[in-house]
Amino acid sequence: MTHKATQITSPTKPSEILLHLGPQHPLQPGPFLLDLKIEGETIKEAELKIGYIHKGMEKVFEDRTYIQILPLADRICYLASNSNNDVYCRGVEELLGIEPTERAKYLRVITNELCRIQSHLLGIGEYTTDVGFLTMFLYMIREREGVVSLLEAITGSRLNHNYARFGGVANDLPPGYKEMALKTLGELKKLVKSHDEMMSSDSIYLSRTKGVGVLTAKQAGELGVAGPPLRASGVEYDLRRMEPYLVYNELDFKVITQTDGDVFSRVKVRLLEILESIYIIEQCLDQIPSGPYKQDVMPYITRPKSGEVYSRIEDPRGEMGMYIISDGSDKPYRFRIRGPAFATAQALPPLLIGSYVADVAAIAASMDSCTSEVDR
Amino acid sequence: MGVIDIIMDSLVFIFAGNPFAPWIRGILGGLVIGGVFGGALVMVYLERKFLGDIQSRIGPNRVGGRFGLLQLIADAIKLFTKEDIIPARADKWLFIGAPIVALTSGFLMVAVLPFDLLVIKGNEYAIAVSRMDISILYLEAVSGLAVFGLFMAGWGSGSKYSMLAGFRNIAKMIGYEVPLGVSIISVAVMAHSLDIVEIVEAQSSIWFIIAQPLGFVIFGIALLADLGRIPFDQTEAEEELIAGWATEYSGMRWGLAFFAEYFHAVVGALIVSLIFLGGWNGLPIIGNLGLPGVIWVLFKTIMVIMIFIWIRGALPRLRIDQVSDLGWKVLLPLALLNLVWATIIGLMWA
Repeated sequence: MTHKATQITSPTKPSEILLHLGPQHPLQPGPFLLDLKIEGETIKEAELKIGYIHKGMEKVFEDRTYIQILPLADRICYLASNSNNDVYCRGVEELLGIEPTERAKYLRVITNELCRIQSHLLGIGEYTTDVGFLTMFLYMIREREGVVSLLEAITGSRLNHNYARFGGVANDLPPGYKEMALKTLGELKKLVKSHDEMMSSDSIYLSRTKGVGVLTAKQAGELGVAGPPLRASGVEYDLRRMEPYLVYNELDFKVITQTDGDVFSRVKVRLLEILESIYIIEQCLDQIPSGPYKQDVMPYITRPKSGEVYSRIEDPRGEMGMYIISDGSDKPYRFRIRGPAFATAQALPPLLIGSYVADVAAIAASMDSCTSEVDR
Repeated sequence: MGVIDIIMDSLVFIFAGNPFAPWIRGILGGLVIGGVFGGALVMVYLERKFLGDIQSRIGPNRVGGRFGLLQLIADAIKLFTKEDIIPARADKWLFIGAPIVALTSGFLMVAVLPFDLLVIKGNEYAIAVSRMDISILYLEAVSGLAVFGLFMAGWGSGSKYSMLAGFRNIAKMIGYEVPLGVSIISVAVMAHSLDIVEIVEAQSSIWFIIAQPLGFVIFGIALLADLGRIPFDQTEAEEELIAGWATEYSGMRWGLAFFAEYFHAVVGALIVSLIFLGGWNGLPIIGNLGLPGVIWVLFKTIMVIMIFIWIRGALPRLRIDQVSDLGWKVLLPLALLNLVWATIIGLMWA
């Protein structure tokens, strides 16, 4: 099965209508246009049009020095700002031929996992409003608040953390952080378990989500989908396990998979991954070595030797990669971002065909795409 | 002799001979419509506060003191001062008429709702604008008018979202008016009357929620579907159809449509408390505690409203095809079963 870029055809029968969802619509996390040809409530054709908030980030990066790119890399997607930052730093570190200190590696893992938790919580929250379950959204936002505070305590900001540095991180853990984190995460674990129980037992919720928007493993592979949507289809694909970066090979964790590949499984994967991330953070807080959190001596201007590098990371939404070519100057010669949300977004139209208008919201939100990152 | 008795005696003295003069009905009508209007306002406030509590937020807390008591007034001022937009592609008269039709059907329903039955010197005085022999039938008939309002809005707005919402509304109405009607018939069969006053009086020994619990559940679900509240708010599902039939409305025209919904919800809660929860009869064991029947009706109505809000906080939304499935494949057969049950019990009581 191949997936051509679908182009919507104009309605031929009087019973068919063309419905434009967007570019501003309550279901969207950001502006995109979803054209649907519907007959009654059934979707016949779907076409996704993106580019409404294209920021030209790759080109902008090519005109900035390496250190200036750091805060901008955060802004690719504010929910994954830590991962974006980390993957960029690891790329540049590889070009420079340095390693972050051991403590910094642990700190980066902690912040990355906290980042994953808050992204998943918001993703599930947005998704639950889209199936008309506003209460769960507010619960998720409440739970997320604690995690964001934990991130704020380390990095000093709530959303765009700008924490990683070449060879280290911006600052160390604040005093008493371990107790604070364990308390918050312990509560979060209980709450997530109870939400999971609620979402696995509510019959209306199950009837809305089971068997809806099924993405097969083959389809997902062809469309380049990674992350929770791919793992929900039964593929054990996780860069933290396959290509352990930072200190993931010293940590014990499971790769969460589900088999059905429907809306329910995708959300279930995220819920269980939150628990797994909490487990990872607990291990990190136990094992973290003392020592410097950044390199003692770093050059004043970052000027890597010419060469190229592709670094990638398991983002909350999938596989995030950055391809950097250096020509030996203080600015990258070419910068290319491979975002996870772009692939999940392009998987949306094939999933929609044949489903109901009411399921558009559920399917789109369960893919947890991010328009800001699609239009980077 | 209590104060209430003295007042009642003097009322009887004043209106003796013609207890239901048209002008008294007029006053009563004004009072009842005003009362239900006030009830709808209370419901909006309660919904914000109680739903806020369920969702672990505070709800309105700025306008009018800590409890946000004047929030509704602030909202109304805002709605009145907004620009009134009629879309260029809209069918103007349908667009303007829709909220009015929706609200009017609520007003019409209020006309037959009794709040108490006073027996003074052998005469029965039902506290109702109008007492009909077939009031429950009338109620069922005029409640159907509300759907016309929503469909007028859906068609007249000239928007595809509104139109889809209108279609959904029709599908839902057809699927749910039938079980709703059948469960009302079951109640009427059990009470041997189509008069709501008689139906309430028939519950003086045992409430119909106990006599036919299945009927109550069916009526409740069908009523929620009729009112378009979660889990049956497909007609204004925000993430699918923006605001459904209300997408193109703005300002006070939207306010009117919004208010019509709450008005209907209060009337619906009143009907539940009258035909299933014993109306002005007190609680089964402890009796009516010497409180006037009106208080009991209001108390039960508020309880039903709270349950509506609770359901909204606890459940996600069904999909429209699942709604139709539920209506036709589950509720209708069960409603018919309940009718059989009600007939047997009703005959035994007779």
